Parts: sequence; structure tokens; C-alpha cells
Amino acid sequence: MDITWGVSASHHLPWHWLIAVYLFLAGVSGGAFLTAALTDMYSKDHNIRIIRTGAYIAPVSIIIGLVLLVFDLGRPLHFWKLLINVNAGSVMSIGVFIISIFSGLAAVYGGIVWLASNSGKRITKGVHAAADEIAATGKGIQSLRKPVAILGSLFAVGTATYTGFLLSAVTTNGLWHVPFLGIQAVPFLPILFLVSAMSAGLAATLIGAGKSEITIYKKIDLVFIVLELILLAILYASIKSVFFSGTMGTIFWLGVVAIGLVVPFFLTVYSLAKHKSVVVPVSAMIVVGGLCLRFFVVYSGQMFK
Amino acid sequence: MAKQYAMIVQVAKCIGCQACTVACKFQNEVPDGQYRTKTPAIGPKGTYPNLSLFFEKEACQMCKNAPCVKVCPTRASYKNEDGVVLVDVDKCVGCKYCMTACPYDARFTNAKTGAVDKCSFCYEIRVGNGQKPACVSTCVGGALEFGNINDSNSDAAKLLAKYKAQVRKPEFGTIPNVYYIYEGVK
Repeated sequence: MDITWGVSASHHLPWHWLIAVYLFLAGVSGGAFLTAALTDMYSKDHNIRIIRTGAYIAPVSIIIGLVLLVFDLGRPLHFWKLLINVNAGSVMSIGVFIISIFSGLAAVYGGIVWLASNSGKRITKGVHAAADEIAATGKGIQSLRKPVAILGSLFAVGTATYTGFLLSAVTTNGLWHVPFLGIQAVPFLPILFLVSAMSAGLAATLIGAGKSEITIYKKIDLVFIVLELILLAILYASIKSVFFSGTMGTIFWLGVVAIGLVVPFFLTVYSLAKHKSVVVPVSAMIVVGGLCLRFFVVYSGQMFK
Repeated sequence: MAKQYAMIVQVAKCIGCQACTVACKFQNEVPDGQYRTKTPAIGPKGTYPNLSLFFEKEACQMCKNAPCVKVCPTRASYKNEDGVVLVDVDKCVGCKYCMTACPYDARFTNAKTGAVDKCSFCYEIRVGNGQKPACVSTCVGGALEFGNINDSNSDAAKLLAKYKAQVRKPEFGTIPNVYYIYEGVK
């Protein structure tokens, strides 16, 4: 670095892997919550393993994400100033509140689901009188289950979409700010990140679903995969090819497209046709693809802005 | 009329001596390895006898439509009544959102405070006392000028009236208040 005669000091990227992982975890959390809450409210089978896995993944991953985020701050101990100094024109300022509320709702919902499954066990075993008491309070709290699921679902969508708006609000960045199909008022990333979040959150939840019947979920994931492939084709056509060059190109084509979408697509079709279960490897690949997508967007956007 | 402070860089007068870089370092106590301003060489480009080499001062461009101010979640980055973009260190949490938004790479995380840092036109420490920014006062070749461009009698306004000036990356619509005059640059 010779600023007298050489080039200007090599600038490192402001946002690095912590932010990519955080955006990914926020997406997984939103997707897992929706998977659990919608199954809880609308599914006839009421697959308890899906509900439980999703309800636990949601608070855990969003809280890990928030911890990473605080550590990435230049002044981690000052994070609370985000809560008292508000800029309504800043997407991040609004997002702080969306994510905080969502984290709270996800934790409450996770707790309700945990209480329900736990008190159930204690009743059947019928051990102590104290256990019956816990079960009674548990039942009182259960009346909150539906309202929390509904409100949480709204904030889950808000959180997943927010991760896209956070980047798309940076108007000086050619990748992050790219509009959807050239329509200036509609940013592209919130749509892409919402679909990817639903897909990755559902996939993460299915890993914990065990041997239960999940054909419907596989079909839903297939829809997400196809949607995401279409969206990525639109993205590829909308931005400069330099964004897909070098290491970023490898992450995009190998991580996002091949491992994250194309292979899971064919394996899911195969498993539906042959009634074979490949759900764990397929879901793991989709989750890895979701992570690669956040890395690609965060890094490539800053490297070639 | 409200003030609008601006800096004018006459590129042809700059000899690349880095006195501005150094003056800024000790006026603002910028940590080791970090710079609020720097003046890299552009070139040499071409082959003899058509060689070109000049120096281009880099720093915060004090945008009228500052992307950093817009995205800042805590209003730590703000524009004051004299059109100067400043950072309230007390409010800054160091999220670096402004750094991703700045098209000029003018901002950095101060290694000592953890807050974002950048050129302030020496607003609090010099301009308030009627002085010019440290880089302008120290400039050996007289390449830098500073003043209120809304006052047509200021040296800065006169330079802008006399020469054709450019701003960096106008395509982003940031409307910077650092002007570059390339008159005499080959």
C-alpha cells in the first residue's frame, strides 16, 4: 500500500461473512417459523414433528443470527442505541424492530409448543400432582398458540423480506439495488430472499421431520426450487456479468445453482416418483444453497458495485 | 441564504506531495494505517511522448443527497445546517451500513473508537473558528480551495464560476460538494 505513488489503500469490504450468515439465519428462521405455524393451523395431519422442529429452529437461528450481528458492530456494547435512536427512513432502523418482535414471538411460540408436548407426556405418565399443575398452566397458555402463530407468521414474512430490503435500499450498489424485471419501484432482492428463506427454512425443518409422511412438503419445496431458478435466471439477465466472475461465479454456479437447486430438484422428483426418501441429503443441499446465495449476494455486491 | 461549504480541487496544481494526507493525520488524530483523505497517483498512463500522470485527492464528497445519511439507522450520520456531512460518534454503533452505501469508499471504522470515521471538512475544530480545513491550509501547490459557494464573493465560488468543474460519479445522483477542476491536466 503506497499511497504516494501507488494505488489508493486497498479497501476491504465493509460487510463480510458474519453478515452473510446472519442474513441466512434470519431467512431460515422465518421459513422454519412459517412451516411450523402453517402446519399447526391448517394441516389436517398436524404433523407434530414438523411443528416442533420448525418452532425450535426459528428462535434458535434468529437469536444466533442476532448475536453474530452484534459482534459484527464496531461497537458491540452500544447496540442498544439502535433501539433509542430511530431513523424511519433507514431500512435497518425499521428492521431492528421487525426482527426484535419476530424473535420475541418465535421464542414464545417455541415455548408454547414445548410446553404442550411436555405437559402431554406428563399427563400420560401421571407422575406427580405438580405435573398436573404444570399441565393446567400449560393449557392456559395454549390459548395463545393460535394468535402467536398468526402474528409470528406475519413477522416471519417481514423478517425474511427485510433481509432483502436491507441490501436493496443501498441505491449505489448495482447488484443489491437491481429492480425486479426493470420495474424501478419493485426491488428484486426482497422477493428472491423471501423465496429462498421459505425454501431453506422448510428444508431445515424437514431434516428434523424423521420418518413421518412429508410428501406434501416435498411438493411445496419443489415449487420453491422452480421459483428460485426462475428468479435467478431473471437476476442473471438483469445485472452485469462481472458479478458472476471469479470465486463469486463458482459460489453462484456450484453452490447456489447446482448444489442448492438443480440437484435437489432432480432428487426430489426422483424420490416422489419412486417413493424413496432422500429428504435429509436434499434438505441439507437446499440449506447449503441458501447460505451460498447470501454469501454470493453480500460479497459480489460489494466487490463489483 | 444558507451556507454550503465546498472544497475545490485544482488537479493540475497538485504535485502529489501528500502534505494534505499528513496534515489531516495530525489535525484529526487518525489511527495508524487509516486515512480521512489520501491523494493517490492516477497513472502514469500511456507511452512516451503521450504520458499522463496526475494526483486525485480522495475524501468524503459531502454529498447533498448523501446515501450514508439516508441509510444510517441511528441518525449518527447527518448533514448540518452548513451542508456538511458529519458523524455523531456518540450515536454510532459501527454497523457499517453507511460504508456499504458510500460510492466513494470515503468511510472507515476508526480502529480506536469502533465508530465510523471520515473527512469532516475539519468543521468542528477549524471551520468554526474561521479557519480553512487542515489540508487546504497546508496545500503546497495551492491546489485546494474551500469556502461557502452560496456566497459569490468567496474564493471557492469564484473558482467554480471561472472554470468548468466536475464531481465524482455523478451518475449516482449524490450531488457532491467536492469539485474537481481538470483545467491544464493532460
